[in-house]
Amino acid sequence: MFAYNLKLAFKSLNDRPSLTILMVAAIAVGLGLFMTMLTLSHQAGKIPMPHISKQIHLVQLDNREVTADEAENFNQMVDLTYQDTQNLLKLPSAGVEQTLAWNTNGILNVEEQEIQPQRSSVVATNQAFFTMFEVPFLYGEGWDSDADQFSQAVIVLSKKSNDYLFGGINSVGKQVRLNTHVLTVIGVLDDWFLARKFYDRSYYQAWPDQAFIPSNFAFDSDLPRNARFDCWSTTTNPGKFRTNYLTELKTSECAWITFWAKLPNHNLEDYKTQLGQYIDSQKRLGRFPRENQYFLTNINDQLEVISNMIGREQMLGVISYMFFAVCLINAVSILLAKFMRRTKEVSLRRALGAKKRTILQQHLIEVVFIGIIGGLFGILFSYIGLQAMLRVSLYASDYVRTAADLMPYHQMDWEMIMMAFTVSVSCTLLVGLYPIWRICNVSPASQLKAQ
Amino acid sequence: MLKMENVSKIYRTNLIETHALRKVDLHIGAGEFVSVTGPSGSGKTTFLNLAGLLETFEEGDFYLDGQNVKGLNDNQLSELRNEKIGFIFQSFNLLQELPLFDNVDVPLRYRGFNAKERKDRIENALEIVGLSSRMQHLPTQLSGGQQQRVAIARAIAGQPKFLLADEPTGNLDSLMAQQVMELLEKINQQGTTIIMVTHDDQLARRAHRNIQIFDGQVSDLAQDQTDVLIKSE
Repeated sequence: MFAYNLKLAFKSLNDRPSLTILMVAAIAVGLGLFMTMLTLSHQAGKIPMPHISKQIHLVQLDNREVTADEAENFNQMVDLTYQDTQNLLKLPSAGVEQTLAWNTNGILNVEEQEIQPQRSSVVATNQAFFTMFEVPFLYGEGWDSDADQFSQAVIVLSKKSNDYLFGGINSVGKQVRLNTHVLTVIGVLDDWFLARKFYDRSYYQAWPDQAFIPSNFAFDSDLPRNARFDCWSTTTNPGKFRTNYLTELKTSECAWITFWAKLPNHNLEDYKTQLGQYIDSQKRLGRFPRENQYFLTNINDQLEVISNMIGREQMLGVISYMFFAVCLINAVSILLAKFMRRTKEVSLRRALGAKKRTILQQHLIEVVFIGIIGGLFGILFSYIGLQAMLRVSLYASDYVRTAADLMPYHQMDWEMIMMAFTVSVSCTLLVGLYPIWRICNVSPASQLKAQ
Repeated sequence: MLKMENVSKIYRTNLIETHALRKVDLHIGAGEFVSVTGPSGSGKTTFLNLAGLLETFEEGDFYLDGQNVKGLNDNQLSELRNEKIGFIFQSFNLLQELPLFDNVDVPLRYRGFNAKERKDRIENALEIVGLSSRMQHLPTQLSGGQQQRVAIARAIAGQPKFLLADEPTGNLDSLMAQQVMELLEKINQQGTTIIMVTHDDQLARRAHRNIQIFDGQVSDLAQDQTDVLIKSE
């Protein structure tokens, strides 16, 4: 009987194919938009390094003036001053890894004449960066603590930079120029997929920066500091610190360096105690005029705050839900009209011995099939929608970010594809229940006398 | 074979109640050919729908082939309908997009016969009605009389004990009506009980027995005549 009902269902779909196409199109377009938004939201909601993300904490100390506004979360709090980063790095925290990161830039160049010098964004950090964040290496490795301590001229290249500068070969031991400084390549990153670029608190979706160098080397070379300087009101024109006044910056109360600590649960309380003690000690020196306040925020909590702030995905998500619902209502109206045209046939089949459940099965197959085809085309439309959103994102970034940067955040994974199928079939089935119920309740005697 | 005792059928709306059949007492024996006549709106089709288990009734008992159908659920009624009853309609009610073979196949599919048995039965039924050479034709390629013969083939393919015919010649000219009537008589002679609703007195007289329905009440002429004979004796 199933085979017979399958045959009848396919025959019904072929009958008046324009109606079938219209139903499939309504579902596919609605699903396409819905899945586009859901994919963006899904990708945006991914957490980098999910297995350790709750251990990686952003460290912030409140050294602001007394009159500053209360901070409710990390996003309203300033980062760390230079002197605090140096002091925290010296804390006797057994087993706790700490790193700092700030952005600079320069022209990366190699000796070969045919390679065009490349303006690059560079992260100044310390050796713990690579181990804390489990950065994958294609060649070589991160530098050691000596390189930090003695300000060695070493550099870690991203895979993309290594491809550009060295054609993708193992460049460890080779030399590159950063502006006028000669540095030795000590490692090359492999592809490092970050759902959110958290380490510089930009949180946007992109690949890592093009190179990494020791922070002390960057200071000694007086490389530009691409940061926002949150200074006490006594400091005028903090923008001057971007390229000048390094000595003054190092002793100022300007917060600008992002600082991270990897704190497994058993270390968290101990670390908090040490932060409290540190603030107390600094108070005795006349710093930290406010209450003893610090923020330790892990990556998950940071992203939760950021997601609530962005809100764009949520708004588009609501619109796409509504649009999908409208499309489904359209589809079900067509389905109802199509089924109701068939009451005479169903009445006849019931008179000839078809049970209600047989009629139910026949129409369920038809609805599920419409759901599957709608799902297939919906995935196709989702792909088109995501490509369109990729172009929008490129435009919105003034083409600073590349398609390759954004592609991972604009593509459906298998999980999303399976979800598209499930959503399509289950929603079509759900809204198809009413037409099916109507057709199954056609009385066997109701239409037989009709001419 | 078919026995109704005090069967009543009432159609209800919010405003009115319509007594379509009132306390019908009727017995139709195996192999009979019974015609049902009466004016329009008298309840003939309702009677046929009840007899064909297409509708339920409120009062009384109805025995079909010895089984009381009162209280049977929808599935049981469908099975009984499929197994015991063949339907012939005035407007043929063929599925226009299906070839004759597939039209005749419909009740056999719901009966659960295997492919070979279905094929044998379909070929046999179409042979009986004289359309075995046109199995793959569509109904639209046939005349009205031929379409009604296909409907008869569909009705007899499952070898039911009853054939219920609702104005089977109503849409046919006299020559075709004659052919269809002869076919029904032939089927009846092979043992199938036939109940035929008709407006045509001439055709009604060709049945073994005539039942008249007027205003929802059944007047069984054969039974009345028997009663008169008993009284005169």
